[in-house]
Amino acid sequence: MPIHDQGYRRYLGGRAPRGRAWVVIASAGVRTLLGKRAFLGLLLISWLPFFVRAVQIYAAANLPQAAFLAPTPLMFRQFLEQQEIFVFFITVFAGAGLIANDRRANALQIYLSKPLTRAEYVFGKLAILTTFLLLVTWVPAFVLLVVQVAFAGNFTFFVSNIYLFPAITVFAFLQVVTVGAAMLALSSLSNSARYVGILYAALLFFSQALFRVLQFVTGNTSLSWISLPFDLSQLGDAIFRLPLRYDTPWVLSLVAIVALVVAAGLVLERRVRGIEVVA
Amino acid sequence: MLWSRRSVFLGLLLGGPVVLAAAIRIVTATTSLWRLSINGARVGGPALFGMMMWLLYIRFIVPVLGVFYGTSLIADEVDDKTITYLFTRPVPRGAILIGKYLAYVACTTLLVLPSVILVYFLVVPLGGGSIGESFPALLEDLGMLIVGLIAYGAVFAWVGARLKRPLVVGLVFAFGWEPAVLLFPGYLKQVTVAYYLQALVPHAMPQDSAVSILMQMFREVPPVATSLTYLAVIVAIALWFAARAVELKEYVLEQ
Repeated sequence: MPIHDQGYRRYLGGRAPRGRAWVVIASAGVRTLLGKRAFLGLLLISWLPFFVRAVQIYAAANLPQAAFLAPTPLMFRQFLEQQEIFVFFITVFAGAGLIANDRRANALQIYLSKPLTRAEYVFGKLAILTTFLLLVTWVPAFVLLVVQVAFAGNFTFFVSNIYLFPAITVFAFLQVVTVGAAMLALSSLSNSARYVGILYAALLFFSQALFRVLQFVTGNTSLSWISLPFDLSQLGDAIFRLPLRYDTPWVLSLVAIVALVVAAGLVLERRVRGIEVVA
Repeated sequence: MLWSRRSVFLGLLLGGPVVLAAAIRIVTATTSLWRLSINGARVGGPALFGMMMWLLYIRFIVPVLGVFYGTSLIADEVDDKTITYLFTRPVPRGAILIGKYLAYVACTTLLVLPSVILVYFLVVPLGGGSIGESFPALLEDLGMLIVGLIAYGAVFAWVGARLKRPLVVGLVFAFGWEPAVLLFPGYLKQVTVAYYLQALVPHAMPQDSAVSILMQMFREVPPVATSLTYLAVIVAIALWFAARAVELKEYVLEQ
């Protein structure tokens, strides 16, 4: 009967360079979510508006009767607005349990006992969410721009609206980072992913409802900054060079978003710790 | 159900409208900064109360409470791995769900109604509104909210008993399916709770956004008796399926 050596053996695997450990968390999280059929279904449904818009661009480029469907910068803005509901569902599905599940399983201590800093842990978790959110915002919007050039057979629209690509990029990243930071902060506050999801829904929809009531009371829309979705809408209009829809200056909306991201960072700094010191 | 840290959420949710109503009352009483108006025309407190009912309670608080508590009736026990203790008692499994559902209805009703009443007394007197005149509408509101909590709770209790991760499905139903389907003409809206619930609301639907205006355009209001009948059928069917799901389903506890 062979006797195997159970003694100490050095680690012979590859060692990630310092500062790259977040990639491990991100890739593991992405793989886990891609293994869920329900999530894949949600991603597929999120791409349906893209196909509708692609057909619209095709029809406008090839059928003279459908010339009124010709793409405009407003179309790209509206497309990103349509994606907001999918951004919400994907954020809840993919983001609610990102830290909450680790807290529930007491895995945070195990994570942080490895050569992994808190910043890398948070960044890795954020990368999971941003990957999927960009997949339903920035990627389809950019592909739509490519589709337009391909179907039109020229660069006229692209060149005359050269600001569209940076606008799509800036808005998509702003939206994704804001939403991701808010969801991660909420996820770090509880052990229950379900509770986190409801908190996030409340943050969005309740602030919208409060603003609508205040709009009724004040007779104007200058208080739209209290609602995160309306802040993003206002900034989206500013980035796409469209008339602003609310009376709030876009700078104030930007300040509200920056304040939210900073607050989320502070919450994460406080809540993501290997040990909790109870005074 | 109430003595948990999650009740903070419930407190914020139901305290928010009260704080807002108090702030509006104080500001309108002490300054002339805020004036109640729709398209420039001055309106009274009852109209503001009707708007708060629509925007805060009917479209948000009632569905959210239904999703939150309805889906967690069984899912919480599974997550906490305590469902085994319940199932080993000499009680039919379905009865456990029904008992927890009744506790949900009692708790949420007893918290939502005081919040609405406080908002009513704070807001209705504004702009010369009469509490006595609009009191019957308040009673209708309270009845409608109870029916809404019962109906949404039953539907989401079923979702929670049937699915492993019920929250996303609940949110998709409450904030994706229902608002979307109500925008379309035809029969599809009859597969929602909101269609029947909104028929019980005594206030005019606010036209606060393009979506609301569209909703108003395609709005068909079924008679109150029909709505109540359909809601009763929805509750009965949802609870029956929920109890059956609990009876038949084998809940696997994560290690």
